Amino acid sequence: MRYLRAFGAFWYDFLVGDRPELFVGAIVALVLVWLVIQLGFDTGAAGWLLTVVVLLVGGLGVITASRPKR
Amino acid sequence: MNLALAALPAFLASIVEFVEALTIVLAVGVTRQWRSTLLGVVAAVIVLSLLVGVFGTAIVLLLPIAVLRLVVGGFLVIYGLQWLVKAILRAAGAKAKHDEAAIYQREIAAMRDEAPVPASGMDWISFTVAFKGVLLEGLEVAFIVVTFGASANQLGPAALGATVAGVLVLIVGAAVHRPLANVPENGLKFAVGLMLTTFGTFWAGEGIGIVWTWSDATLVILLAIYVVASLAAVWYVRNRILPAHFRPTMAATLDS
Repeated sequence: MRYLRAFGAFWYDFLVGDRPELFVGAIVALVLVWLVIQLGFDTGAAGWLLTVVVLLVGGLGVITASRPKR
Repeated sequence: MNLALAALPAFLASIVEFVEALTIVLAVGVTRQWRSTLLGVVAAVIVLSLLVGVFGTAIVLLLPIAVLRLVVGGFLVIYGLQWLVKAILRAAGAKAKHDEAAIYQREIAAMRDEAPVPASGMDWISFTVAFKGVLLEGLEVAFIVVTFGASANQLGPAALGATVAGVLVLIVGAAVHRPLANVPENGLKFAVGLMLTTFGTFWAGEGIGIVWTWSDATLVILLAIYVVASLAAVWYVRNRILPAHFRPTMAATLDS
């Protein structure tokens, strides 16, 4: 059990780390754009929508990380 | 073209990670025993090679390309953004830069607190610290090699890029015999973060059904957009966020 927990903790740290908003944000971005495509949005324009959402996620990460922790 | 694209991110990421691993290896080797330290390094390299070989081949053979690109692309966006955000914060002065010389001194001090080196035979402390250091730093490289190599169907060139970087760092490290403090680690991390985010967006997008307007040439445009946005973020953190957080502190100090 201890090894399993350590294994899980390692992968959490490896993929999520200290910025969970990037992990969640990237997944939300992909799901959101996939849904938009399913609703009939142009597949070419969806690419630029994904780029904008990824930029917003990165911007959110920069802003939250650069503010001092309370 | 594909060969260079797969090899370059792995090469740059490996330089960064192996420079960090070299600092640990040097500290252990200098303070304790070189033979056990180098055996630890060899053991870690074997484990990393097996991981890349087994997982890389399994992923390429078992996963359909659309699923592969979605999953791998998603991971690359997450991972790329993590590298990029840290690099932006370091470039803006909001996060301390990696100081290999200071880390080296800390590692040496930690090694001196350990039990004495055995008079003969294997020093397991040297072995374990070197093994863990190289394995943990190398895992990030292995992850990039497997994901990039698998998505671009260029596992060999990606692994080659990482190996060349590893050998290069080893040769320079052996020649100068001290941590490579002058390697521009943050610049390299910036470049790797940009590449991972660019390719991640491209591949994950294809995975969810996006048809990129200019096909593969879109990669250049995506990269340019991310470069401009990242430089703007560095400027914004340096000139807007950091001063804004300094002002209240200074005002509070003056009030008291």
